Amino acid sequence: MPSTITESNVLASRDALPAFPRVVLQILETIDDPDASLPLLTRQVETDAVLAARVLSLANRASHGGRQAVSDVFTALSLVGMARVREMAITMHLADFMDAVFPLQKLESFWSHSLACAVCGVEVAHFTPVEVSIEASLIACLMHDVGQLWLYRFEPQGMQSARAQAEADGVEIDTMERRLFGIDHGTIGSWLAASWGLSPSICKAIAHHHTPDAGLPEPLVAVAHLAEILSNALNLTHDRHNRVRSISTASCKRLQIDWGPQSQSLFGRIEARSRHVFNPFAPELNAPH
Amino acid sequence: MRTRTRYLPIEDAQEGMTLAEAVKDKYQRSLLPAHSVLTAENVQQLQAHEVEFVCVTFTDARSPEEIANHTAEMAHAVMDIFRDADLDQPTTAALFNQVLIYRSA
Repeated sequence: MPSTITESNVLASRDALPAFPRVVLQILETIDDPDASLPLLTRQVETDAVLAARVLSLANRASHGGRQAVSDVFTALSLVGMARVREMAITMHLADFMDAVFPLQKLESFWSHSLACAVCGVEVAHFTPVEVSIEASLIACLMHDVGQLWLYRFEPQGMQSARAQAEADGVEIDTMERRLFGIDHGTIGSWLAASWGLSPSICKAIAHHHTPDAGLPEPLVAVAHLAEILSNALNLTHDRHNRVRSISTASCKRLQIDWGPQSQSLFGRIEARSRHVFNPFAPELNAPH
Repeated sequence: MRTRTRYLPIEDAQEGMTLAEAVKDKYQRSLLPAHSVLTAENVQQLQAHEVEFVCVTFTDARSPEEIANHTAEMAHAVMDIFRDADLDQPTTAALFNQVLIYRSA
């Protein structure tokens, strides 16, 4: 029987983990300040050879037909767009971070699910009339299951039993985790996220993506919850274990989304964008190996 | 002949498809209006503008039997995903219905 996990257990494990990528926090901090955001992003791109190559490549494709090749980052940023580069930088840095923190065989399927949820979360954030930060939605959805990775790394046997028992009993994994560990992966993830300096709204979204009613009215909680549900409902990762058991009515109301005919365009956009992102030649895909 | 409207990743967009919705760039400027017929050249241009997907209408060349088979197969897959769901709960039922319609289209 696995033992109860406490916040101090989780935080004590941080010494074994690498530092959270500071650039992700900086991007979030300067998002509403274009004067600070552009120089920061330019600096980040200039000092990251992989990101710089991708941004320059995108910029040169965007300027197709232009007379001169784009060779400086500043021009490239203006052509590609800051929002796009921010999304690329966040996704790449978080992918590398997860890879360094949790070098597990399961990481690839974990990352596919996280990317699928991120596509859903970003599209839901665009779709809802409620104001929600796109970048915060992206980060919350990419990181929503980080607590599960922690469990696989630090409680591997307990986590395997939890998974098997949840499947056998037909209950959600978070329910079984609470039975076995006294805590679920959402809470563990939110403790880690808070210790890495992520915003309270992102921590709340990670904590409550399976139990959203407890985290409302924070809209990011509803976004993370709907992202998880839609990723499964549309089976974006083609996983036979994908299931929808229930969706929080309160979350849908919070985002003013009712599942009427207009949902068809949301589903279409999610699926097309997901297929684009999972295309091996798409520039955004940077799954850990 | 029946037509279908689909969102497609830009990689799957083909010459001759008709846009069901206008394509906009990252600044929400219209790149191509709705009802434009895609040419090889403007597919390339959309890719160059980093457009990720387009909404197109195209002729559905499938036979009625193929359509029926596809619809049944998709309905089965959706029901499997929702097999443990409480469909008496109105929000879950509404989502289920929309996913079913989407997959059957």
